[in-house]
Amino acid sequence: MLKAENVRKVFGSTVVLDGVNLSVQPGEVVSILGSSGSGKSTLIRCINGLEKLDGGRITVDEFDVSKPRELAEARKRSGTVFQLFNLYPHMTALQNITLAPIQVLQQPKAEAERKARALLAQVGLGDRGDAYPAQLSGGQRQRVGICRALAMEPRYLLLDEVTSALDPEMTADVLGILADLARGGTTMVFVTHEIEFARQISNRIVFLDKGKLVVDLPTAAFFSAKGGMAVPRIAQFLSKMRKD
Amino acid sequence: MRFDLSILWPHLPFLWKGAVLSAEVCLLAIIGSVVLGALVAIARTSSAKPLRWLALAYVDLFRNVPFLVQLFFFYYGLPELGIYIDAFTTGVIALSIAGGAFASDAIRSGILAIEPGIIEAAEVSGLSRRVIFTRIVLPIALRTAIRPLGAVLVNMILTSSILSAITLNELTGSGRIVASDTFRPFEVYAVLLVFYAALTYAVSIAVNLLHVRLNRGISQDVA
Amino acid sequence: MRYSSFTPYDIVLLLQGLGVSVGLFLATSLIGLLLGTVWAVIRYYRVPGLWQLMSFLAELLKNSPVLVQLFLVFFGFPAFFRVNMTPVEAATLTLSLNTAAFVYVIAVSAVESVGRDQIEAARVFGLSRWQVLRHVIGPQASAFAVGPLVALLVNQLQVTSLISVIGVVDLTKVGNILNLRTLKPFIVWTVVGLLYYAAAKLIAMLGTRLENRLRAHSAWKGL
Repeated sequence: MLKAENVRKVFGSTVVLDGVNLSVQPGEVVSILGSSGSGKSTLIRCINGLEKLDGGRITVDEFDVSKPRELAEARKRSGTVFQLFNLYPHMTALQNITLAPIQVLQQPKAEAERKARALLAQVGLGDRGDAYPAQLSGGQRQRVGICRALAMEPRYLLLDEVTSALDPEMTADVLGILADLARGGTTMVFVTHEIEFARQISNRIVFLDKGKLVVDLPTAAFFSAKGGMAVPRIAQFLSKMRKD
Repeated sequence: MRFDLSILWPHLPFLWKGAVLSAEVCLLAIIGSVVLGALVAIARTSSAKPLRWLALAYVDLFRNVPFLVQLFFFYYGLPELGIYIDAFTTGVIALSIAGGAFASDAIRSGILAIEPGIIEAAEVSGLSRRVIFTRIVLPIALRTAIRPLGAVLVNMILTSSILSAITLNELTGSGRIVASDTFRPFEVYAVLLVFYAALTYAVSIAVNLLHVRLNRGISQDVA
Repeated sequence: MRYSSFTPYDIVLLLQGLGVSVGLFLATSLIGLLLGTVWAVIRYYRVPGLWQLMSFLAELLKNSPVLVQLFLVFFGFPAFFRVNMTPVEAATLTLSLNTAAFVYVIAVSAVESVGRDQIEAARVFGLSRWQVLRHVIGPQASAFAVGPLVALLVNQLQVTSLISVIGVVDLTKVGNILNLRTLKPFIVWTVVGLLYYAAAKLIAMLGTRLENRLRAHSAWKGL
């Protein structure tokens, strides 16, 4: 189980996360919605240990990310896909994917490459393994980014606005892959602006506003008139996003 | 007096030997500079304050003292410590240390130019600090630093002429011998001057080609 | 000669050497600045034949070792042109030309840093080429050039150490003399090195001050 308890994060004088509680069971798909600056990306960065907590506790399968000794173990259990892909520019797609499995999981190179090729084929990039990131389109890069995260066989996949830097067509490609993963039972924490998509694949929706967790509801309840829509802030957010 | 290059003919093999020696010195010293420069760049980007300070002092000192003085310091000073090495080795060491001060700047800016997100991606995938540095940070920094490192190499080729002052008969040292044997210093040094200029020109073209080749994959424009 | 330890007079000797180094540095920097600027103006007016020659000469001087240039002037010129040349004269001529070459390159890129559109706009308003140079290009280009020029001067101070090789009794030559007499290379070269270091730092400091003043000046003009 992935668990955040009373998480607090402060940048300077701004409170970015203010007492956030969240738990994700294996097999669940949880989407985190909220306007820019609501703290949703920061929550992801706290879960994978890129930001230090100013209060509270985050555990990934009982491993506390604030404890340096346990962080490595916690990171092995989660995989992150970034908004701007963050691929290693000097390595081919295949090398991007196999680096961590070989170095961290000690997989033999041949095995890591076999698995990486299978992942690339799964996302429709079976023939682009030897391409460098600069030779790939944005959508293709993000698909490599997803493969890189999956190659570590994480129990939790953290997705941080993974389609924000992509045009609509590429977005559709990437979302299609994520939908496949969701159907296949991959556990996901999904920070996004794609509300309709979140509605289709999520078990639960979490709404953050100004660092506070406003609601944490099953998807149907979130979109129902008596559930999430009853909260003015959420209704306002949803109507604004649908207009855009 | 007539400008007569033909008098140099018989001496070309000798000059060529000097040029080869120059090339050997520069090749070894540029490797030394890059290794030293990388270590110093690490120290300068490290979080330990004394280490940063020490690295900065080294760069500052060796950039602001004439190379000839540095060279004499090593050439005359090392035997004082009981370290007896020949002029060739002294030259390589002195050039490496002086070049390292410049190379560290180039590599340091290469490190600082890496997008933080790339390092973060490596961190969250559980790679150790050592692996992140050797497999990701350093390779990217060295690629983007190729051009400034090429400038360090060009400078090194020119500076290596100073090694003639400690009796090393590299190209300039050989030139001095030929000039005094033939009594035609004008022709000898004019040819040397043009040769050095042509050589450094060729090296900078080669470095540019290498830069383009190695950085094909690097320019990460977001689609 | 028997070696002997340091005497109080050695301080005078060192200061004399420093004086010669700094004096030659100042003289050749001044000549070089003037000459380099004149070359750049020749290029600006595209004086036929002459400006290509200037460019070629500058490239040649920039890309060849100063030591070889010194040997060419000190040994080569007297032999070829049948002129007399003292070490100080050879040093002055060589360093001035060398500095001029770098000044020329800096000035050219400074002029190029001023946008074409500005120059064309000024020409459309009926300003002569000279007026454009004086009022539009000059102020902006000098603000742009002062940083690289300071770096150049710091470097040229170190280059002066090479004139010791042709026998000018500058700071490095004094170091040589003391080194041979006292056989205390560590002390001698450390002291000599620190003197150069202090002088370099002084130049850099004065340069930064000048740069700040010029920057403020040109920023005010831009309003």
